[in-house]
Amino acid sequence: MANLLSLKRRIRAANNVSKTTRAMQMIATSKLKKAQDMTLAVRPYVEKLTAISQSLSDKSNKENTHKYLGHPEAIAPTLFIVISPDKGLCGGLIVALTRELIAFDSNNEKNVYMTIGKRIEGAVASLQKNVAASFKFGTTLPPYDVVFPIVNIIDDHFLNGRVGSVKILSTQFLSVFSQKPKITSVLPIEFPNDKLEKSSFALFEPSLEILLPNLLKHYLEMTIYQHLLESFASEQASRMIAMQNATDNAHEIVEDLMLEYNKGRQEKITNEILDIASPSFIQYE
Amino acid sequence: MNLTFEILTPLTTVFKDEVDEIVVPTVNGEITILPNHINLLTQVFPGELIVKKGSNIHSLAVTGGFMEVSKNRVSILADYAIKTQDIEIAKVEEAKKRAEKIMQEKTSEKDFKIAQGELLKAIIELKVAGKRRRRS
Repeated sequence: MANLLSLKRRIRAANNVSKTTRAMQMIATSKLKKAQDMTLAVRPYVEKLTAISQSLSDKSNKENTHKYLGHPEAIAPTLFIVISPDKGLCGGLIVALTRELIAFDSNNEKNVYMTIGKRIEGAVASLQKNVAASFKFGTTLPPYDVVFPIVNIIDDHFLNGRVGSVKILSTQFLSVFSQKPKITSVLPIEFPNDKLEKSSFALFEPSLEILLPNLLKHYLEMTIYQHLLESFASEQASRMIAMQNATDNAHEIVEDLMLEYNKGRQEKITNEILDIASPSFIQYE
Repeated sequence: MNLTFEILTPLTTVFKDEVDEIVVPTVNGEITILPNHINLLTQVFPGELIVKKGSNIHSLAVTGGFMEVSKNRVSILADYAIKTQDIEIAKVEEAKKRAEKIMQEKTSEKDFKIAQGELLKAIIELKVAGKRRRRS
């Protein structure tokens, strides 16, 4: 009897879990749709912007130089920005990020860190390195103005020569089923050696000195924003899949427990019938 | 020899086609890009952008950005752009009023800047839409 009661309780608990995970899955799905659209829409824009910025980087040796352009100094420390979600329950996403972070840290001794998202803060703190700033990621689609404080801190470190390069670790949104952590170099803007087509601009209006700061600032903002969007879409996709699996598992458990419960119930009934029936056999014998 | 022209914004690719002629408002005034234009990088000013293809004339409203001309490929990276025929005047009027109201109230610097951007967008859209209506 006690066994049946506890089984019943476990069934109810598993049912409740499946309801919760189902709700979380629904929320993630609805958030994902918007995030995915935004992420995919912003990609061609940023790619073009990056291409223009990179094609200008070979101008850096002439008098029209800008601090964003040039080559990274190997000796100087790196400002390493890690973007993670604020909340857990999103599959292996955070574990993969942490693994990438530790691998990077063991190869590069001198780093300054900046974290965006609560979930990675602990991992970064355990590295016992300087942390320049920690931001929250939020649980909604990041608005554009979140990039400004981030860019200010990057500027503060990079333009004052405290760091020689800026890198970002974020999760790339490959598809709903696949997200990959990736390290991208943001500053300085380097000219890709494999592309032979060098800057072909003959004319700058009004002039390169005026254009360059505006363009490069915009490039930096957009790049960071794109990483935020990609991370957000990855988080939602990852959570959706994780919660779907959790719901399925909970249903499976409910099914197993139900079978066990029914078996127990039948056994109990059989026993009771036997109890009622057996004395009468004795009488008639 | 045609021009390949595209306008990209962070939200979408607004326009992408082979065209004959583009008139763009830039910081130095309005300029016209014809095929075989010298390679150019410039900043786009808020205003009306006119694209000519054969006898068709398309009009767009842009609120600033960058333009790259390179080997008969013209790309504009705009903060915001919309085809003039897609502008809904009633909606824009409303957005303009809303932005003005926010700017009049004492709000934070951040809200003020956002409202300012919205207002600029609305004013440009109205201006371009008004021009287009008179002409046609």
